[in-house]
Formats: sequence, C-alpha cells, structure tokens
Amino acid sequence: MTKKHHVHLSDLHFPIKVICLSAALILSVVVFTESAPVDGGRLARVEGKDASAFMKITEAQGETIYMSILSSRKHRLGALDNPTVGLFISTDGGATWHHRGWTGYIRTFYTEAGMDGTIWSACGNGVLRSTNKGSSWRITTGWEITEVLKVKVDPTQPAIVFGATAYGIVRSTDKGKTWQVKNNGLGSPFTSDVLIDAAQSARVFAATEEGIYVSTNRGDQWRLAGLKGRGIRVLAQDRLNPKLLYAGTEEDGVVISVDGGGRWKSSVSGLHHKTVYAIVPDPTDSRTIYIGTHGGGVYKSIDGGTTWHQSSKGLTNLDVHSLGVLPSNPSIVFAGTLNGGLFRSTDGGSTWQFNSQEEAQVWGISIR
Amino acid sequence: MKTVLLVVAFVAGVMDVSSAQRSFEERREKILVVASSERDRGFATITAKLLTGQDLPFAFAMLDSLTYDQSIGGMFYAYTLIGCYLHGEHVLPDTLKRKMREAYRVRTMYRGDTENHWVMYYTGLYLAAQTWPNEDEARWFNGKSSEENFEEARGWLNHWFDISSTIGQGEFDSPTYITTFLTPMLVLYEFAKDPAMKTKAQLMLDLLFVDFAAEHLAGNYGGGHSRDYPEDIINPLAAPSTFWAWLYFGQPETPPWNETRYRPRHRSAWEPVFGAASSYRLPDIIYHIATNRSKPYVHTETKRVRNIIRFGKEKNPPVYKYSYVTKNYILGSLHGGILQPIQQHTWDVTYVSDKPNNTIFTLHPFSSGKELAMFFPEEQKFLSDEVDRYHNVYTNPNKWNSSSPYEQTLQHKNALIVLYDIEEGTTHSHVDGFFPKTLDERIVDASGWIFARSGNTFVGIFPLKKYEWKEEDVNWRLRSFERRNGFVVEVGSSDEDGSFENFRTTLMKRRPRARDKGKHWEVKYRTRGGHVLQLTFNGKRIIDGQQVDFKQYKFFNGPYVQSERGSGVITLTYGGKRRILDFKRGRITETP
Repeated sequence: MTKKHHVHLSDLHFPIKVICLSAALILSVVVFTESAPVDGGRLARVEGKDASAFMKITEAQGETIYMSILSSRKHRLGALDNPTVGLFISTDGGATWHHRGWTGYIRTFYTEAGMDGTIWSACGNGVLRSTNKGSSWRITTGWEITEVLKVKVDPTQPAIVFGATAYGIVRSTDKGKTWQVKNNGLGSPFTSDVLIDAAQSARVFAATEEGIYVSTNRGDQWRLAGLKGRGIRVLAQDRLNPKLLYAGTEEDGVVISVDGGGRWKSSVSGLHHKTVYAIVPDPTDSRTIYIGTHGGGVYKSIDGGTTWHQSSKGLTNLDVHSLGVLPSNPSIVFAGTLNGGLFRSTDGGSTWQFNSQEEAQVWGISIR
Repeated sequence: MKTVLLVVAFVAGVMDVSSAQRSFEERREKILVVASSERDRGFATITAKLLTGQDLPFAFAMLDSLTYDQSIGGMFYAYTLIGCYLHGEHVLPDTLKRKMREAYRVRTMYRGDTENHWVMYYTGLYLAAQTWPNEDEARWFNGKSSEENFEEARGWLNHWFDISSTIGQGEFDSPTYITTFLTPMLVLYEFAKDPAMKTKAQLMLDLLFVDFAAEHLAGNYGGGHSRDYPEDIINPLAAPSTFWAWLYFGQPETPPWNETRYRPRHRSAWEPVFGAASSYRLPDIIYHIATNRSKPYVHTETKRVRNIIRFGKEKNPPVYKYSYVTKNYILGSLHGGILQPIQQHTWDVTYVSDKPNNTIFTLHPFSSGKELAMFFPEEQKFLSDEVDRYHNVYTNPNKWNSSSPYEQTLQHKNALIVLYDIEEGTTHSHVDGFFPKTLDERIVDASGWIFARSGNTFVGIFPLKKYEWKEEDVNWRLRSFERRNGFVVEVGSSDEDGSFENFRTTLMKRRPRARDKGKHWEVKYRTRGGHVLQLTFNGKRIIDGQQVDFKQYKFFNGPYVQSERGSGVITLTYGGKRRILDFKRGRITETP
C-alpha cells in the first residue's frame, strides 16, 4: 500500500476487484464532465458541483501532476506569439493547469518532485530546481551538463538526484549543490532515462542507446543488465511488485523483467515492433500496464504484458511520449503526445478526450 | 551636422590605422550613419543610433519595447542586449537602463543547442554579470548570483577558445553563422574588463577573420561550409559574410545595402554595426591575406564535426578541408560524409562575377531522423519533422544543402572527384547539380563533358552516369537517378588555360575511368595538369600514386596560415611579416 488510507485493488479478490473497478469507472464518468478547452486551448476544466467535488478529492490526497511541454507545433523561432511552454502543474486531476517557471522555450523534457516537495526539471539548459512549488528556480548545473532528458529523485533520500543526459549520467548527492558525471562502465553515454529501484535505492538502472545498464552503488559503476546494443527509450517499475521492471525500446516493443532486472524478455505480442516512449503500470494493479508508442498511440495490457491491445480511441495524435495514471483513481490516465497536446481518459484508456495544450509536445508527465 | 560631428568625434577616438586599411574608417563611418537611419526594431540599428546620436527618441522607444516584449528571449537577445547597453550606456536614460537590467532577471534565456548559441549566451551572460556584479541569485533569471554566472560564462568561453584553437570549430566557415561568432567576440573584446579575456577575444577575432580571409574571394566565402542556407549557397554574395567582407576586407566595393545580391534586411543583417562600433582593428596581415590573390595557392584545414551524442564512436571526429584559391575562383571541398546535420555544403566552385548565383556544385539531398539523432537528443522518429519546421527544406528532395553519408571527395588543386554511393532504400536516391543561368556559356559536349564559363573562369564537369536537365528560376538542375554516381570537375581560367576553347579542347581528350563492380566503386582520372587522381568510395584516395593521409593534415596549412593540430598556436605570415596567435599563452606577437 502506498497510502495508509488506501486499499490496493491488487490486494482484493477478483470479484470484489471487478465490482470496485466498475464502480470507479462509473463514478469517474459521472464526475468528469468535460468542457471545451478554454484560454486558447491551454486550459481544460471540469465544470459544476462535480468538478469541485473531484478537486476536493484529489487535493485532499495531495496528488500533483507535473506536465513538461518541450515545445509546440505552433512555436516559431523568434515569433512574437509563441505559446507558453515548459512546466504546467495540476492539483485537481487535470481539471486545471497552472504554468510554473519560465514561459519560453528551454527544452523542458521532464519534471519530477521529490518526497520533500522539491521540484526538479530536466531541461536543455541543465537541471532546474525549485524549493517553493515552482515560484522561483535555479539552474543547479553549470556549462558542463546539458541536454538533460530525465531527472529522477531518490524515493527515500531526496537529496540524491540523477540526471539522464545526452552525454551520460549525472548525480548529485547534495540536492543539486554539486553534480558528478557517472559514466563508469557505460557502453554508450547517451541515456534516455534512469530508474531508481524503489525497493533498494542504491540500485539504479539506465536506459542507454546500447542497452540497459545497472549500478548497485548509486551510479559509481555500471554494468550491462540486458538488451546489448539496443536503443532503450524508457524504464518503469511496478509499484506493488518492485521486481517487475519494464523497458521501452526503439522499434522493438517492450521488454519485461520479473526478477528485478536479472533477465529480460521481449513482450511484443500485438505491438508490431513499435518504438515505445512511455510506460506506466497501473499503481493499483500489476497486471495492467499502459505504453505510449510512436505512431500507434496508447497500448494496454491487462495480463501483465503478455499481450497488448491498442487503446487509442479518441487520440488525434498517435505519437504518445508520456503517460500518467492517477493513483487515487487509476481509471484516470493521461497521455502526452508529440505535437497534439495532452489527452485524458476517464475509463482506463478505452476512450480519450483532449485535455490541454493544443499542438504541444508533452514530453513528460509525472505524478506525486 | 550634429550627427556628422558626433561620428567624426567617435572615429577620432579609436586607435591608429594603417594606410592599407584607411578605407576601413570610411566604411565603418558609413555603416553607422546608414544603420542609424534605419527604422527597424533591432539592437544593431539601435546601437548605431545611440552611437551617432541620431533618432534617439525612436531608439529609446524601440529599446523600451524590446525590454517589454517577453516573447523575445534566449541567446539571440542575451548578447545583443548587453552589447547595445554597453555601447549606449552614456546616453541611455536611467529608466531604460533599469529595464534592460531587469531583462536578465525575468526573461527566458535559452542556452540553445549549437555552438553559436552557446557563444551568444555565454558572452551575454559574462558581460551582464560583469556589468552588474555582487547581485544575489534572486536578481538573475537562472537563480545564480552575479559571481556564479560570471565564473560559469568565463569557464565555457575559455573552453571554447581552447577547442576552437586546437581542433577547430564545429560550425566552421559558415557564411551565415560567422555573424553569431564575430559579433559576440567584438562586444566581448570591447567591454571585457579582464585583460586576459580581452586578449582571448582578440585572439578569437583574429582567428575567425583569418579563417575567412584565407578562403575569401571578392566578398565570397569560398570552399566547403559546415552550415549555410540554400539561398546563400546558390547566391554566395547574399550571405551575411559578405557584409563583414565589405567592412573589413573592402570587398566587394559596393556597400551591401546598395547591392541587389545582398539582402541587408535578412538575418542579422546590420550586426556589422558592432564591428563599426568596436575598437578592434583587423591586423594588416589578415587584410592582405584576404585580398592578395596574385598567386594561386592551396590551403588546407582541419575542423571538427559538431558534438556527436550517439551512433558514433567519436564525439568530434575531424573534418578535412581543401581549397584552391585563385584570383578568379575558389574550388573547395570537405572530405565528405556527415560532418554537420542539416546545412552542410560539401563542395563548390565559386567564381568572381558581377552577376548573381556565381557558383557550381553537386550534392545528394539526404535526410534522416537517425542522422539528426546523432546530434540532437530528441527522438529520432520525430526529428525530421521537427527540423523541417525550422529549416523548411530538410526533407525536400530539391534542397541545396545537405550532408550525406553517401558522398565523398578527392581534390588536388583545380581538379576534384566527387563520388556517390547511395544505399538502396534511402529516402532520396538522386544527386543534383546546380548550374546558374547567369553563366556566359553552358555547353553540353558530345564528349561527355559539361562546360561552363563565367567571365574568365572555366569549369568542366564530367558526369559518370546518365542524367537529365531541368530548368528552374535561376538555374539548370542536373539530376541523376543513378545511385552509384559521381562527377569529375576541372576548373580553369584565362590565366591558366588561355581561352575557353583551349580549356575545352584539352578536357575533351580526357575521360575518367570508372570501375563499378560489386562493392567496388572507383574512378581514376588524369588531370589536364598531369596529376592522376584515384578515389575509391569508402576506400583509398590516391594522388600521383601517393595515398592521401588525412592524419597528416595540419590545423591550418597554406602559404599564409600555419598551425599544428592541437597546438593552440596559429602562425600568420605575409610578405616577411609574421603574426602568432598563441591561445595557450594568451598572447599575440607580431614580427617584425
């Protein structure tokens, strides 16, 4: 259980789980009444009493969604009317979004908050940090560190932060005061993602251009963990069973490890060699996993990754680069597309509705 | 009258100039006057107004709007804002000064992802932090203090000076992007308080200018280029480098704003104002290197590939560059392959002409998401589309700039072989050739040679495979759909060959020998000068029986510029004089 007042669905027996999921689905459909986007497509909102009721639920549970907009199809170099990009935050389940930080283009790839509330952004300009909920920011890195694609915070020690960059892996152990390059043992420095093992935070995985690498000493030394020579785009871990690991590949679907990264097995049934940019397991059900693909939109597995089925109805852009599932209500799923903005599903991915950021490149979504 | 007096007073304030460049002072005065009469909203023209005192209310209004408009930010803003501020500090109202200072707190200052971006960003940050010292992190856009920003900028600038003087620039010899290096360095030279930094800026200016000068011809930037825009590739005097050539080399003689081939209102058009405003003076020796074309010469260079972040074994592999410079033309080439994404220009012959489109070249219009992903961290399946949004022609089969893994060259003096071996399945599998309509003569000869003449320059091109012609607005396009392909090129002139007829007659008797068998694609050719060139695709390059060893290429090697790779010391020689640019020691010496 991740929250003391929650009972995880996976803990329940199957008939009860079906009833609970159905009830949640019905509730979510009732509660969410989508309106047309407002404010030039930048904001979507839930209207009426239902909306405020839902907002109270999500706010009470303290769920914050961080959406990183890299750019927009509307963006033109030097144009006077470029859309606002960068970090958007929602504390009401995606009903409203609020911009934080710089409004211009600095290539905001991904944003994540640590358990102490510090917000970290992976950007072209380096690793940015805010300790006041996004009111002000500091670029914690210097000129040596650039093109940061992901930033991941240690789940138990928020002063330890990793950055996945085009030039390798960087780590700070003092909350961004100093950074060290940690490429020892990496075959290819280009790293799309890092994953800190939730069960054992000294163990870190890296998604590189030449396979998955693992370190058992917080990045001091790396060794190949699998998929030698293959481009890895993203890594994910099941919340309920930390031994379940997922990796998205370039043109070769998903690979899964059930033993904490010792062995990796391809899971391509139904994926047709898709490039996988995003993976998010349902935080309440280990058998349900969503992936975001290039050209195919969202695929979903309800059998632990054995088979995959396209789940993109309503998506008007099928290049899905980021995904998020609301832990308090796993029927609510977010899909960030490249040049199509943010979509939300209230029925576990069966149907999607446009949510926010018209024509935006939603590079990253994280929820805390 | 007031304006003239101000300009004269300003001119009188700068250092002495040599007789060879006396006309520079006239040009710099002219550009300040002309630019200050422009009514656009650009930091360069505003700076001209602040320096001359002309049209100050308009300048202040434009500056105010530039500080107010939050949509403008990033590196292009960072260095021009501070350059304008420092040049105009004496006349700027305090309210405007405060607004300009505030810009460094509230704006999005994107650092960018190219060499020129970083030069602009860190030069701006260095001078801003120097101008407003001892301010805490809340006063800066990036949450760092003045001291932190100053140190970071200093650190990167010194890093850039080091790599640029040892393994070369990644965005080398660009007729367009030269502005984005020259202007920041001119501003840095003018205002850096640290004598060491000022000297480094001077060293870098000397290096940038001599790099241009050695391949300069009558305003044209000859040879291969890392990056250039198609419209400038097919019309060399349209490039921004022409403006710099006019100001510092005195060529072409016509001011760019009066020259129809130049478009003074395009990208960064008026930035040479910052040169006119600077006390930096081009050393005589560089001026002579740029303008003395009494004898033909071979000039070679080693540059570097832009940072490769994946799909490559080396971060910055070397680029080998060869140019043959005469008073009539420059035949120049890069050795081939992917050396820069998007805007590479591998080879051409550019000749002196009073007509536009004074160039001939061929290319393979390659595009690939994987190529872009070598240099950009975004997803490879997404990059082609994204780059097309900014560089509209990237995936266009008719584009005139390209880097291709299927293109290789071999050049010796005025002869060149370019071979193509295009992999099956490549998006565009044809090769194109650019032949301008402004040629005086274009003859498709039964011998297989295509002959072209413009004034005193003669060009012979022998296509190795069948091709077709297509007439376009300003050119004939030669197109061949043979994937294994190539051209032999010879360039001559009235000085070398007497008449065009002699040139043609000599070449008609010559025929390249091609060997196209299995994986082997090779051509061998004896030039009219008697040299035997042999190029095997992905194989040896042989000249007169000797294999070309690129490892022997120096950083600079020519009659005027010499440097060993990695040394950080560049020696300029001309007419018994020597100027040594010593980046390692941070000093310049000139003898006698």
